[in-house]
Amino acid sequence: MNPVTASRRHYEDLAVGEIVDLGATTVSKEMIVTFASEFDPFPFHLDEAAAKASLLGGLASSGWQTAALTLRMLGDRFLNTIASMGGLGFSDLKWKEPVMVGDTISGTAAIASLRRSRHHPERGIVTIDLDIRNQHGEPVMTMRLANLVELRDPSVPLIEGENP
Amino acid sequence: MTRWFEDITIDEVFPLGSHHFTEAEIVRFGQLYDPQYFHVDPEAARQSHFGGLVASGWHTVSVGHRHMVDALFAEEERLRGLGREPGVSGPSPGVNRMDFKVPVRPGDTVTYTLVVTGKRPSNSIPGWGLLFNTLEATNQRGELVYHAELVDFSKLRDYKMPLRLRLLLALTRIPVLGKVLVKRTG
Repeated sequence: MNPVTASRRHYEDLAVGEIVDLGATTVSKEMIVTFASEFDPFPFHLDEAAAKASLLGGLASSGWQTAALTLRMLGDRFLNTIASMGGLGFSDLKWKEPVMVGDTISGTAAIASLRRSRHHPERGIVTIDLDIRNQHGEPVMTMRLANLVELRDPSVPLIEGENP
Repeated sequence: MTRWFEDITIDEVFPLGSHHFTEAEIVRFGQLYDPQYFHVDPEAARQSHFGGLVASGWHTVSVGHRHMVDALFAEEERLRGLGREPGVSGPSPGVNRMDFKVPVRPGDTVTYTLVVTGKRPSNSIPGWGLLFNTLEATNQRGELVYHAELVDFSKLRDYKMPLRLRLLLALTRIPVLGKVLVKRTG
């Protein structure tokens, strides 16, 4: 048993359809410029005049920042409460609306599927649908994440086609 | 890249350069955005199946994005140096797939490579095209760190807006009526 995660929820404790409220984060100009300076220094993430002239129509966060802030909310509300073994990746990430200075993003994480790893009986794979919206209720980002989670009891045999 | 949509060649390979990941920056990114114990606590990380500290996948991806942006700027400079007007890169509408393969550990050097695998004019934004890019990151042992299928906007050089759209655009500039039109057509 991993002592770090022993008291957390494990694969067996999760259920398809569970929905986690991710709370809310307000995005300031300083946050946008700081992140963009390090990871996404396009003028439309750094400079208000350039941003106004761009497709975004104003100073907006990097899509990768929206994703990173969402990940932080997911960590605080979910991943750090389960025996997470890290992410496998994601699919269908869509940046639907820019996140502008002063916007507040919030959203939900819904467990879309659960299955056990075929090669590693001590691991389960949870897929999570993220739905992130701004303060007007408009979707700003959606994606499906895949994350590994420890089984409490890997000795339970894997049943073909099982999907608890 | 920062070329006009028309000038982008399918399957051209763009080396984006390398990044050396230190423990300090792995922990810093983890503390800000992904504070799971194997990203922020080298001691506790030993208990994980990784056996030690690893970078958040989102960290390696964000660094890869930075390398792509730097390459775009470099291409822009190169074209200006040749006396040619560079194209315009837009924001990205999304990522089709991202697969994290081998974790990045402190001291690893990750090399990023971009290939444009497809392109087509945008259906929703006149005057812009969509680029389909594959970005691969490998470590110093040649192991695949991640594979990404990205989508990006690039501006068309030879675009002429159809009369119907030009009329519609003119109408959207009229107060009140414009707002209604934008809502209905947006």
